[in-house]
Amino acid sequence: MLAPDDRVQAPVGVGIGLRTPHIAEILATRPAVAFLEVHPENYFGGGPAIAALERLRCDYPLSLHGVGLSLGGSDPLDTRHLARLAKLIERLDPAFVSEHLAWSVVDGAYLNHLLPLPYDQESLDTLCSRVTQTQEALGRRILIENPSLYLRFKHSPVSEPEFLSEVARRTGCGILLDVNNIHVSCSNFDQDPYAYLDAMSMDSVGEVHLAGHSMNDVDGRTILIDDHGSRVPEPVWQLYARTLERGGPRPTLVEWDTNLPDLTVLLEEASTAQRCLDAIHSRTSNAVAA
Amino acid sequence: MPSLRELESSFGRALLGAPEGALLDLIAADGLSPEARLRIYRNHVLLTLTDALIATYPVVCRLVDERFFRYAADRYIHAHPPAVPCLFEYGESFATFLAAFEPCQHLEYLPDVARLEWAINYAHHADDADAIDAAQLAEVSAERIGSVTLALHPSVSFLSSPWPVDRIWRANQPDADPDATVSLDSGGAHLEIRRVGEDVVFRSLDAATYAFRTALACGDFLEHAVAAAHSVDPDVNLAQTLQQLLADGIVISIGMP
Repeated sequence: MLAPDDRVQAPVGVGIGLRTPHIAEILATRPAVAFLEVHPENYFGGGPAIAALERLRCDYPLSLHGVGLSLGGSDPLDTRHLARLAKLIERLDPAFVSEHLAWSVVDGAYLNHLLPLPYDQESLDTLCSRVTQTQEALGRRILIENPSLYLRFKHSPVSEPEFLSEVARRTGCGILLDVNNIHVSCSNFDQDPYAYLDAMSMDSVGEVHLAGHSMNDVDGRTILIDDHGSRVPEPVWQLYARTLERGGPRPTLVEWDTNLPDLTVLLEEASTAQRCLDAIHSRTSNAVAA
Repeated sequence: MPSLRELESSFGRALLGAPEGALLDLIAADGLSPEARLRIYRNHVLLTLTDALIATYPVVCRLVDERFFRYAADRYIHAHPPAVPCLFEYGESFATFLAAFEPCQHLEYLPDVARLEWAINYAHHADDADAIDAAQLAEVSAERIGSVTLALHPSVSFLSSPWPVDRIWRANQPDADPDATVSLDSGGAHLEIRRVGEDVVFRSLDAATYAFRTALACGDFLEHAVAAAHSVDPDVNLAQTLQQLLADGIVISIGMP
């Protein structure tokens, strides 16, 4: 286990998800964002994608946000995947490395989705052992993100924030708090997102994610789907403000993956988040001055 | 209560079309049926994997139209889900699947078009590697030169087809002349596909060059590759064939005997 004070050193500012159609414009205009986040799985090969990222890393800290490790899975941890990730980390020297509280591989099939776990003792033991194995293989602390959920299992004696806080306590990993996912999951189960936030160990939160979601009618019930395809909606901004009030300023990322807008729209969202961070910063420093 | 392994295994099977069975009893309803909740996951898996296949096989998709492609992709995904969590590596066996897929067996050229698209995708993401200097091969002594092997750039692959797949591919690019037609009996193609700088390119090779390069790609000794070229075309200029290989910058290492 890594020492609990081995905190990720990264900029406390707002970054954006880097998507291929925006790369040329970002290389040309170098917009003022605090960091760029990518899925490492898209950069496991060679060619133009990784070449562009190597150019960008001279000007921006990078964040590698993995989706393929299946940390909650019961198949053996994929050591080839882990080795490819380690190689990419060595090449890019990212400020953050993160993964998900989820599984995606079973019986040798990769299902390309962040799938739900029951929050019980067996899941906790599985996840902690695999997070530890990952941190040891990579030689660094990783952040684990709360997923967006569309179903939960009856045998989940522990709430998600308690579960995730316990994983952080036992393994020394950090938490990537996705505020949109809190809103989505809580809405899909008629739960209170503010109670969720209150149950979360904010000391472990190393990064915050913001994104938009879609609202869908499923058999007469509104289900929110975390599609990262629109602006951050108002309830998510409010939850973000509360997150910062509780935990103080945290590096924040605006994600946008589907219905990709012009880069300027994404940068506007990042500016809005930056103003929230600045407001908390000035409040914190005023408090210190007083 | 099932173990985590049992739960995930039955969840995975249900996402790929198996009956949900006892899995539904484990899911909390929260105002929506467990079937409907599971369906949200199933739809997402199918939709995103289909989109990944469309991204890799845009010409096949255009040739059969998107509706049929989605139907074929659905069958393919259920039979061959990804084995690795890296989507650009998904779909290598799609051509073989299409060749045996009853509803499109009349499109005999389709699997080879898919093979070309896979080769393009493969070349796009292949590892980077530097070419050797041509002088390095000149330093090998005359008695050993026949027994060297030449490793080609990771992005290089070859495709031989009885169909004009290169012309079919070009005629189905977004900027192609919509009125242009390709005659299916206009001859086959011996293609080399590779990445040059940041672009993937492919071109037709003459039969002797094709035999020479594919033999090297299989790890044959240089003298065997030369013999393969010679057997296809007794008049081939072997010095020029070798020079052109080095000039193309696709040899990345020399394996000494």
